[in-house]
Amino acid sequence: MSRINQAIHEIHFMDEAAEKNRWLNRIHPLAKVIVTVVYIALVMSFPKEDLMGLAAMCLYPLVLFITGEVSAGRAFRQLKMILFLVAVIGIANPILDREVLFWIGSVPVTGGMLSMLTLVIKSVFAVFATYLLIVSTSIENICYALRKLHMPKILSTLILLIYRYIVLMLKETERLTQAYSLRVPDQKGIHYKAWGTLAGQMLLRSMDRAELVYESMTLRGFQGEFYLKGAGKSVWKSVIYASLWCIILFCIRIFPIFEMVGRILT
Amino acid sequence: MDIIDVEHLTFGYAGRDKNQNSKVLDDIGFHINEDESVGIIGANGVGKSTLLKLMVGLLPGYNGTLRIHGTEVKKENLSEIRRRVGYVFQDSDSQLFMNTVYEDVAFAPRNYGMSENEVRRCTMDALRKTQIEDLADRHIYRLSGGQKKLAAIATVLSMGAEILLMDEPSAALDPRNRKQLIKILKELPGIKIIASHDLDFIYDTCERTLLLADGKIVRDERTRELLKQKDVLEAHGLELPLSFRFYPGMQETIFGAGRNDNLV
Repeated sequence: MSRINQAIHEIHFMDEAAEKNRWLNRIHPLAKVIVTVVYIALVMSFPKEDLMGLAAMCLYPLVLFITGEVSAGRAFRQLKMILFLVAVIGIANPILDREVLFWIGSVPVTGGMLSMLTLVIKSVFAVFATYLLIVSTSIENICYALRKLHMPKILSTLILLIYRYIVLMLKETERLTQAYSLRVPDQKGIHYKAWGTLAGQMLLRSMDRAELVYESMTLRGFQGEFYLKGAGKSVWKSVIYASLWCIILFCIRIFPIFEMVGRILT
Repeated sequence: MDIIDVEHLTFGYAGRDKNQNSKVLDDIGFHINEDESVGIIGANGVGKSTLLKLMVGLLPGYNGTLRIHGTEVKKENLSEIRRRVGYVFQDSDSQLFMNTVYEDVAFAPRNYGMSENEVRRCTMDALRKTQIEDLADRHIYRLSGGQKKLAAIATVLSMGAEILLMDEPSAALDPRNRKQLIKILKELPGIKIIASHDLDFIYDTCERTLLLADGKIVRDERTRELLKQKDVLEAHGLELPLSFRFYPGMQETIFGAGRNDNLV
């Protein structure tokens, strides 16, 4: 399977996962979006030295991965490129901040190393929280929740259209690269001389397809707004879900959970 | 009663219409009555798809008269026209854009401001008419070509379209799906206008056929009569339908009025 085909397959997998009948999927999208936003905000608010406090925030993704029937292994595989980029984010920190904060045995731990680690953990947590949201909520329901949070309708419509355009563009790219590779069998990848032509063709063809889709939408009464339906979810369970998680996450943020547990145990 | 009125209709694409000969449609006229099924045939590039697109207002800037239910097809009336006229694209992949069949079929009713109960009723009704109720929750990319075509028809039926325009509906369908589509089309009420090269399909679904050539309607006859005329068809880049070729002059006795029923 080519990489493009794999990308299309992954998008479809996410769409199907979001339509599954799991308890996490049945939670109202608004509750899930609120919890995700609160979680990311709290994770980002940890100071760079508070590695232990930040580590306790792993509770949220951990619980959802275990109870929500979401495969962590698949998540790692799907997110490996993003996780690699995340790892690169703070790579300059150890060089810029060399002040030794403490020693682990004979290894000095500098402020730069600590801030890099914190940054990476924060980003990984944010990526997983977002993944858990999109794997359990369709793009339409996410936009529905965002509209409920008073996001301008033009933005939610834009998100939905871009989401559809990405798939169209990938499909057109797949067709083009297949046609190219069939006529240049000995070529590995695409020769740089063909990049310009193929990129231009890809853009034109995906725009043509996008125009056809848009025509199909206008013929069926589309006037610039998707009518999104988020009802039918268990509202009370969703309220409890959002409230519980917000309380737990705020507690983790405010109280040093690991220290408290340590004190109780000793 | 005439539902579709076309008089002196002339259209050319931008950049081509300066030259009189490059008009895609040149002063054509016809009328379509209630519950008629009309085929539009002709070689590539004669304007079959253009004519269909003009009827739903996808191509602005025509000359002449084009009325649906007495309403002129122009920008101000497009909302009303498009609610009555359903256009089924040649490429179903371009027509279906939501995640599941149900969501796609429900797209139009939601846009027309129906309540969720009405949306459900219209959607399920359209799925029932196209015999794909069991596919309601199926993801679009998991459908076969034939199922996609039926889903595309359901998307226009759900908004209560009284006129169905179809561009090459039998293209890329296997014989079983083709037969199923013919059966469903024959059961659907209302006007059906089908542009196709598949003359057997036209023969099975339309009682009247327009032959387009050089921007004009060169024939407007009963399908049974027109499709017999080998010379006329060949002069316009078409061929006799397969059944006419295999059983020349025996249509009435072999297939007769019951032909379509036997086929399905």
